[in-house]
Amino acid sequence: MKVSIFTTCMMDLMFPHVGKNMVEVLERLGCTVDVPDDQICCGQPTFNSGYVEASWPVMHNQIDALSAIDCDYIVCPAGSCTAILKEYPELLVDDPNDPTGDYMARAKILSAKTYEFSQFIWRVLGIADCGAELDTVATYHRSCHMTRLLGERETPFWLLENVKGLEMRQLDGIQYCCGFGGTFSVKEHEISELMVTSKVENIEKTGAETLISCDPGCLMNIGGRFNRLGKPMKIMHIAEVLNHNVDESRIKKISEVATPAPAPFP
Amino acid sequence: MGLSTSTLPFKERIAAAAKDKFAHASIAKAQDTQYTKRENARAELGNWQDWRKLGQSIRQHVIQYLPDYLEEFSDNVEKRGGNVFFAQTTDEANDFILNVIKQQQGHHVVKSKSMVTAELDLDKKLQALPDVSILETDLAEFILQEDDWDEPSHIVFPAIHKDRNQVHTIFKKLGYEGDNDPEHMARFARKYMRERFLEADVGITGCNFAIADSGIINLDTNEGNADLADSIPKAQIVVMGMERLVPSMKEAEIMDNMLARSAVGQKLTTYVTFEGQQTPGETDGPENFYVVVLDNNRSKALGTEFQEILQCIRCGACLNVCPVYRQIGGHGYGSLYPGPVGAVLSPILGGYEQFGELPFASSLCAACTETCPVLIPLHNLLIKHREVETDRLNMMHGFTDFQMKVVGKGTSSPFMFKMALRFKHFGLSPWTHQKPVTATNFFEYNNSMITKGPGMVGGWTDVRDLPVPPKHRDDFRVWFKHHKKQGGDAK
Amino acid sequence: MTIQNRDKFLDHLAERLGQPRHQLATHPYQQLNDLPQQTLSDKTPAELLALARKNSEALPVTFYEVAPVELPQLLTDYVTDKGGGPLLLPTTSHFADYQLTDWQKSIAADQTVNYWLPDADRATNLKAAEIANIGISFADFLLAESGTVTVSTNPGQGRALHFLPIHYLSIVPRSRIVARSTQAVAWYEKEQAAGCLDSSAIHFITGPSNSGDIEMQLVTGVHGPLDVTYVVVDD
Ligand code: SF4
Repeated sequence: MKVSIFTTCMMDLMFPHVGKNMVEVLERLGCTVDVPDDQICCGQPTFNSGYVEASWPVMHNQIDALSAIDCDYIVCPAGSCTAILKEYPELLVDDPNDPTGDYMARAKILSAKTYEFSQFIWRVLGIADCGAELDTVATYHRSCHMTRLLGERETPFWLLENVKGLEMRQLDGIQYCCGFGGTFSVKEHEISELMVTSKVENIEKTGAETLISCDPGCLMNIGGRFNRLGKPMKIMHIAEVLNHNVDESRIKKISEVATPAPAPFP
Repeated sequence: MGLSTSTLPFKERIAAAAKDKFAHASIAKAQDTQYTKRENARAELGNWQDWRKLGQSIRQHVIQYLPDYLEEFSDNVEKRGGNVFFAQTTDEANDFILNVIKQQQGHHVVKSKSMVTAELDLDKKLQALPDVSILETDLAEFILQEDDWDEPSHIVFPAIHKDRNQVHTIFKKLGYEGDNDPEHMARFARKYMRERFLEADVGITGCNFAIADSGIINLDTNEGNADLADSIPKAQIVVMGMERLVPSMKEAEIMDNMLARSAVGQKLTTYVTFEGQQTPGETDGPENFYVVVLDNNRSKALGTEFQEILQCIRCGACLNVCPVYRQIGGHGYGSLYPGPVGAVLSPILGGYEQFGELPFASSLCAACTETCPVLIPLHNLLIKHREVETDRLNMMHGFTDFQMKVVGKGTSSPFMFKMALRFKHFGLSPWTHQKPVTATNFFEYNNSMITKGPGMVGGWTDVRDLPVPPKHRDDFRVWFKHHKKQGGDAK
Repeated sequence: MTIQNRDKFLDHLAERLGQPRHQLATHPYQQLNDLPQQTLSDKTPAELLALARKNSEALPVTFYEVAPVELPQLLTDYVTDKGGGPLLLPTTSHFADYQLTDWQKSIAADQTVNYWLPDADRATNLKAAEIANIGISFADFLLAESGTVTVSTNPGQGRALHFLPIHYLSIVPRSRIVARSTQAVAWYEKEQAAGCLDSSAIHFITGPSNSGDIEMQLVTGVHGPLDVTYVVVDD
């Protein structure tokens, strides 16, 4: 199975280890991985700030870049960026620079084969247990875009359930945004501060020593706040968890484990 | 004050809201309480997503054929013997209402909750009339009135920012001598207001839905104050936004069910009332029935990408799920219509000059869109506002155009992005600090953090640390090339 | 009876919408799905009664289910329990239908009983409602889903009868328990269209008046009755 990595600008700029762990997990599970060279960014930073005109070239570049390599699936380490790429066919309806509809046509193809990392493992590869082990008490931060725009509420919880040694604690107020919101965190930093502060309080209340999420942006925000406050918290992207201390003999398919409960939270 | 509830600049309102610890706690508690009630009520009904589509289809149809429905409604009000006044502006509406009160020789006006009359700033206008007393009868609005006309901070729970002790203090001024138990205070308010109700000669009510095919209106309340206001006085003035129509009772009933579950987590509000001009032979209810239909810039949304906001049924669910509202409360928005619905609606009603900041005061988490019972894509409409303000009106908002256009260029050109990847690590040393990393793992690759950054980064580092980007040789792409060469993808 | 500023106002809206007025005849609203009709449609009358009781009691409403012969005694006990009159009763043939004419006489011997009178003026009827300790009404429907009684105003049973008394009791025949508001509204619309119902007010009442306006703590009886009782009579 050929998989292209949709790297996201944030991972490229800031968090190389997320990509490494992701590639290692996917290869272990039998994928042939490649990284399309000219890809940059899904266009969210400008689009969501209202600079829509400036966003068309960004999206066009992303479509060109991701279409350049033949693959079965595109996998992304961020729920938010995945959601936007999947929304391309809706966004491009207003695109004035696509007279032949060529970008739209390719956007539809890309959109259909793009998955967020945890989603891909569970729903496409059909893997329930990646064979990982992590001895820690953790809680999970659910990103808004992954939950609401991508509509994925379950796969991270299900995969984490099967990590050996991992104790998951429920997070109060899990439905509330951490205050990242891309440029919002910079432009409206006063409000963002209140939001991330309350997120940090709730995470501390769980007694967890590790915070896991599927969105590097949220982790950068919450982790940055923990660091500012000088409070200890181990911050992990789910790819790092699923690549931790792996024993390949423990890898299990969905059919080999008990059917998990539906989304633990609404 | 009308649509605007504050004269402070946006950032000062946020700072004030951040300091108001009580309001903050009380809003958080209210949101959490409503969360469980609302979700349970919707789950119990079943098929919620299909109900939403049904609700949306009703409201969309009404907005699309609004002139026809308004015509039908007003014809039917007239047939029953009532009156309809179409007001394009708040001034027109106020003049008409004051005139009716004069004609009716009204001296004691009772009001039940109506956001539109707050939009009109009607209370102030009524206070200015000699020989006319005015009483807000919704418990929350009564509290605000008696607190020297404090501004509402929620469209369903206007006094959400006040606690029992504040209410206690307010009631003591009215002669209340009991403790701060809400039950006791409510009983006092009942007695106090009942006396004034009984002498009322004009009732002013809002309108949840106006029934086009019968010329009656539909009111949803839990307290029953609207029912007293439409029973006791001999004249009733209904004040409604022009979009508040439904074709018939059948659709009103559907919306009532969805409204109650969304607004207060009940199956129906305690009182669901369909009423209009008194029928010959009846002895109470309005002998003189007036409806004021207000535009006040709502029509600016028609025929635009913002038309969907007129579908809103004012359930307040989007406020109740909003993480920004949770932090800054209604007063932080500075508009009578706060929260996500307000951030979309206020710039349309009051203009970008005054409310242009609101569409930016959102992390676009889409909790509002997810909860809206009539499927208004609220967070997308916020982005559309941003687009109008930046691309079309070129209004500056925090970032300079230049900065964002650089981001646009940088993220659309592979060459420039690769250069950025190569050099991102450089030139940061003035802001970099060897600060112990307590948020371990994620930020551990170079053990230094930016604690006070330049330009756009400054907003970030005012609140949290920023990891210094890795050196180019540590980048993912560099690693991957190497990894591939080693046959990493051999499987 | 006037309509003011209409055409200018509506023309402006039509212009904004970019379409001419008077489109409805060819574009009527068509209900998207039949969820309102389908919801709870599989329930038997016995199940609806059980549901009505459960949902009413949760409000809270005191819920009785009685045979017609038990009704007079129940009402008398209720009046005693609530501390007696003044009572406010509607002027209606329902008393005769339920064979309550004797009860009417006997209760009037013990208590102050006022009627909502078609011939009285506004002040008189409102006064009777204002001083009433107990108001009794006859409901058109009881909605199982929400524990709601529905009542329509007529010359003998005014609006304020349901709101001003301190204690409120509503009588409804068992055959008038329906699944939800959908069925009640369908009936009202049908009666109105047929000219059989000329009421200016229809009230759906779901338990006692309440408010959560002070710290979201639910308190009852802010404006309307402090407590509510439903009596379902077998028929
Ligand atoms: S926008 Fe939607 S959720 Fe918000 S108040 Fe209106 S109807 Fe309710």
